[in-house]
Amino acid sequence: MIALEHYSYAYPSRTDRALDDVSFHVKKGEVVLVTGPTGAGKTTLCLAAAGILHHDYGGGCSGRVVLMGREIADYHGLAEIGRHVGVVFDDPEAQLIFTTVEEEIASGLEGLALPREHLVARLEEVLAVTGTADLRERAPHTLSGGQKQRVALAATLALDTEILVLDEPTSELDEAGTQMLFRIIEQLKSRGKTVMIVEHKLDALFALADRMVFLEKGRILFEGAPEEHLRDERVRAVLHAARPGHVLRRDRKRATTTAPIVTIKGLVHAYDGVEALQGIDTTIRPGEFVAVIGDNGSGKTTLIKHLVGLLKPTGGSVTVAKADTRKVAIHELARTVGLVFQNPDTMLFEETVEQEVAFGPGNLGLSDVPGRVSRALEEVGLTAHRRTYPRSLSRGERQRLAIACVIATAPEVIVLDEPTTGLDAVESDRVMTLASRLRDEGKTIVMVTHNMRIVEDNADRIICLERGLIAADSEEGGEEAICRRLCSTSREPVSFTA
Amino acid sequence: MPEIMQYVPGTSLLHSLNPLPKLLMVVLVAVLAIASGSLFPLGLLVIAILLAAAAMRLAGPLVRQLPLLVSLTISLLLLTILTMQEGETIGYLVPASVPVIGGTFPITAGAVEFGLLLSLRFFAMLFAFQLLVITTMPHDLVHALQRLRLPADYALIFLVALRFIPSLQLEGQRIREAQLTRGYNPGKGVRGLVRTLAPIVVPLVSNSLGRANVLGLTIDLRGYRSSRQVSLRDRSLHRRDMAAIALLLGSSGLYLALCRATLPV
Repeated sequence: MIALEHYSYAYPSRTDRALDDVSFHVKKGEVVLVTGPTGAGKTTLCLAAAGILHHDYGGGCSGRVVLMGREIADYHGLAEIGRHVGVVFDDPEAQLIFTTVEEEIASGLEGLALPREHLVARLEEVLAVTGTADLRERAPHTLSGGQKQRVALAATLALDTEILVLDEPTSELDEAGTQMLFRIIEQLKSRGKTVMIVEHKLDALFALADRMVFLEKGRILFEGAPEEHLRDERVRAVLHAARPGHVLRRDRKRATTTAPIVTIKGLVHAYDGVEALQGIDTTIRPGEFVAVIGDNGSGKTTLIKHLVGLLKPTGGSVTVAKADTRKVAIHELARTVGLVFQNPDTMLFEETVEQEVAFGPGNLGLSDVPGRVSRALEEVGLTAHRRTYPRSLSRGERQRLAIACVIATAPEVIVLDEPTTGLDAVESDRVMTLASRLRDEGKTIVMVTHNMRIVEDNADRIICLERGLIAADSEEGGEEAICRRLCSTSREPVSFTA
Repeated sequence: MPEIMQYVPGTSLLHSLNPLPKLLMVVLVAVLAIASGSLFPLGLLVIAILLAAAAMRLAGPLVRQLPLLVSLTISLLLLTILTMQEGETIGYLVPASVPVIGGTFPITAGAVEFGLLLSLRFFAMLFAFQLLVITTMPHDLVHALQRLRLPADYALIFLVALRFIPSLQLEGQRIREAQLTRGYNPGKGVRGLVRTLAPIVVPLVSNSLGRANVLGLTIDLRGYRSSRQVSLRDRSLHRRDMAAIALLLGSSGLYLALCRATLPV
């Protein structure tokens, strides 16, 4: 179905090759998993396979791309390719063009020359399979990241193309959503569809994928059965960051004598008649590493927004380092609590990395700004990039820069919102090592995440939210419930751990 | 956060109409508003639109535009007063009692009338356009525009523009929140507004540009730029659409007659 022969590619106005002499074939009905470190060329490979590089990007290329037996250049543009290949890109927001979910899915269907009854049936089927039926009237901007990802997938599935190219389709999905996606791929496979998927969550895909392609610096390092990739020495060399996995850390007993740094009492938050939080009571002590888990829409983000004062309680109270968040301005609260947003691009605006880090301490009028900037960059390993334009850093580097921005203001509490989204195993490991080190230095860390592996590896304590309430807390005898939750997802003990 | 120019699901008469009579309404209102040269019929037109909207329980979103329209009116009035000197002088921008500069910038009746005329035209057109947008799914609107032989690309541009207004609003809000947690305190007033610019506008523009690429590819690959053969929704013109078109044309004729009658000879 897809064949690349000695294909090399460089983006316009770049001399380095994003893909370097890549040859591989995807046969009909195969599921091929593409993986490798951030910046290895995975997305570029998807763009090449879907003919996007040739028909849209330009740039320099050599070698051939053959799609369904036809040279890619022989297709009349992307509209024709789109009849055979469906692509789900990694930015769900940008792929939702219409104003309701139903329209989004229906619009693509209408391009197919099929009788209306068929189309209506197909619409309903896709809504059901992707779990988007109850979102049909909703506007894209009111959806959560995970929901957007489902809708983008649904709109592409609706087209019923022979080939599907999925670029990190689970990056914002919770466990249930991820499982759903893998079930869909299974179905597609049984119906003889061809799937090429870029993914960091490897475990579940091992059983599903027929083959795995491991990319590094634009070259294919390994191609073969997924479970065999760790036997390849070159792959192992890239995955040097192997760490032993371990269950919930018990080595750090909670110091019950110290006064809590965060006290949440009867916290309720309601907007538009919906109670996102329905009465949260808990305390967090200095030096704790707390993971907040729960499905999309369980209230995790609402909860952490209260810690930094972006949201004020509509009932109950939140106290951070003796300050009642209702009475203190957000920029004052920033001295004691720092928030690292899920997407670092939300905040990057300066010309250099250095200036970006200096922004926070400057705002707060802190002393010795240059010293703080140097130390923060040192801590996150970006000293060499101090004069780089922040947006030209890699995704993982930008994430560490965002953390440096928070470290520079030396808050006692650091809140991390999905700190590993969109990062490969090596980069997320670096970010989490950094977070653990900050905790060891005495900071209090509160982390929201879907990634159960990093929860197991890093957190001292786990709070599980469900529909705006604490469903379980590992400190309050909820360990069993949480362990069940952690184990409910089928995970092999392999992944990037040799 | 109030949403600007977004489709609001509902069951009103306008919702049930085909987009074509609604498009005709917008065009007619625009033509009539420009054609009428005096305040009285134009005022009636605006009131009629508002009353019709209220009858269909759609007045809320229109009324929400009032602050914007009032500020538009004030700026238009200032502009005409400063640039037009016609008719009787009815006062001065700087009162005559102020020493030295008192009595400068005379306000003439002609300028005020023209300023109001311009504003009312905007009122009428904006209200009509908004009634169209809040009662028509953008997708249906695009189909209607295509039926009127507007190239698919232009129809899509219109659609994408409407669709991304609330997303930009939200993204701006998210960026503002991120900067606030970095101790950013722009302050109030004009100075605060100017200081807000770089930390919020730079990420907003960069992120949107990054998104435009994927957006374009998605439009191409899902085949939205090709013309459609089959429609999932019933888009034929019904009797009520015909009745609406007749009603619109009839009342437009009446309105033009009214304009002629009230026009100063």
